[in-house]
Amino acid sequence: MRYLALFKALLKMRYIYLKRYYFDTVSMIVTMFLIFLLIFYGAMALLGGATPADSGDTLEGIVVGFMVWTFALVAYSNLSWGLIEEAQQGTLEQLYMSPLGFGWVTIFRVVANFIINAFMVFIVLLLMMATTGKWLNLDMLSLTPLILLTVAGAYGVGFLMGGLALVFKRVQSALQILQFVLVIFIAAPFGWMPFMKFLPLSLGTRLIGQVMIGELSLFQLPPGDVLFLIGNSAFYFGLGFLIFKLFENVARDRGLLGHY
Amino acid sequence: METVLHVKDLTKLYRQRRAEAVVAVDRVSFSVRKNEVVGLLGPNGAGKTTTIKCIAGLIKPTSGEIWLDGVDALRRPTRAMEKVAALLEGNRNIYWRLTVRENLEFFAGLQGYPVGKVKGYIDELIELFDLKEKERTTARKLSRGMQQKLALACALVRQTEVLLLDEPTLGLDVETSYEMRHVLKEMAARGERTILLSSHDMHVVQDICQRVVIINNGRVVVDDRVTSLMKLFQASAYRFEIEGQLSAELELKLKGRFPLLALSATDHRTYIDADLEDDTQLYEVMDILRDGRTQIKSIGHKEPNLEEIFLRIVKGS
Repeated sequence: MRYLALFKALLKMRYIYLKRYYFDTVSMIVTMFLIFLLIFYGAMALLGGATPADSGDTLEGIVVGFMVWTFALVAYSNLSWGLIEEAQQGTLEQLYMSPLGFGWVTIFRVVANFIINAFMVFIVLLLMMATTGKWLNLDMLSLTPLILLTVAGAYGVGFLMGGLALVFKRVQSALQILQFVLVIFIAAPFGWMPFMKFLPLSLGTRLIGQVMIGELSLFQLPPGDVLFLIGNSAFYFGLGFLIFKLFENVARDRGLLGHY
Repeated sequence: METVLHVKDLTKLYRQRRAEAVVAVDRVSFSVRKNEVVGLLGPNGAGKTTTIKCIAGLIKPTSGEIWLDGVDALRRPTRAMEKVAALLEGNRNIYWRLTVRENLEFFAGLQGYPVGKVKGYIDELIELFDLKEKERTTARKLSRGMQQKLALACALVRQTEVLLLDEPTLGLDVETSYEMRHVLKEMAARGERTILLSSHDMHVVQDICQRVVIINNGRVVVDDRVTSLMKLFQASAYRFEIEGQLSAELELKLKGRFPLLALSATDHRTYIDADLEDDTQLYEVMDILRDGRTQIKSIGHKEPNLEEIFLRIVKGS
């Protein structure tokens, strides 16, 4: 019950921000959509297709890849930038003092952000599909667990960067560079570089593509791949969280939680 | 009365790469009883904030023990968080983009209280802090004083046994500081919380604290009741009223013997404020004044204030 109250408080705060600062929310959706258009029509020109229909699966792949990137980017930046913002405004120490544990506060925050972000990404996805005319398979029963598992890897990276931010404070440059590293993870061509599937996001993006483009359900996917994705996501999420806890300990030892 | 907060031999060292470790807190020990309001005083850098943050679990001590309502805070930090809330850094502990009520609801949620369960208490706090008219205003639009009151209310809504207040009146103008002091006094008078308060504002401390712990250079130098300190210092604080002005030679002689003695003068009178260790020193001052052929108009006990007492203790230690 107490954990539910904590989760509700975090979710409500995120919802209030989304509603109260609607201009920011709308601009984020519009910016994402504009970036997508740029990439999509750029790719179309490179592939030589006069219309989206001529360019086949590659462009559908871009829609899927861009959707995963949006999810990952929002997830990762909400977590790491969020911790920086809390430290800046002096509320991080208050979060830390929750008797339910800072770990749970952070995890619930991540889940609350995911729920809110899912709505925004879904809007961007609908816009993308409407613009390109490529209506993909939206089998939510299969997609929800796959997206959750895939994005968990991005949260792992977010935890890692959040931990670094607690101790080193100014990590903004690294955060910005990592946004583009996420693109490499998503676009990893592990057809000819199999080791790439060990990276976060890579295998997940491919499996999501198989559902959205190949119209397979979760149960039609190779079980080995799904299991590998579970292991991969658990590894990156767990590793990121462990490193975060390690840096949190360092920050407590050096008295840095309230500093920025 | 039962002890709710017990700090024993608390030490915090900050290790540095190419220099000796900095000792922020050095074997600090003190206890606070249930519903007691204790002031933690000390000059800048004395270790007050480090002590408070160690109790709040925000800084890991190098050694020592902290017990919060029977819970070992260093071994069971999460359990200890049930017992303590803190107001740190004045108005920086709230969410500026949330309204007054939303902030209070959020902090209750952070403690694990469902909104429905604490609605009545939130209403009460809004009334107590005179924030009713502003309850739907975002915190960033509030005055600094109101923000600080909201930050205090957010600490209270967590309904913990112990409340740590680090500089609750920092940065407030005289009027708002007075208002904040009034709220703190009312809160202390209700006797519902055990409060450890650190402040440079001695009026606040003198007004609401029953006891003070003074730390200097990381160590406890005084742990006594405010009334006892006042009595102790009143007994040794004298004011001599002298007819006319003192000669430079006499002034030098007095200051040479009693370096902490303070002199002030009007057109026709000179006042000597002296803190004397015993009665023999009183006669010594009188001998010097007699030798200087001064006319003593009156001698009396001077009413000390906590600020003077604090300065004397810190200088003396």
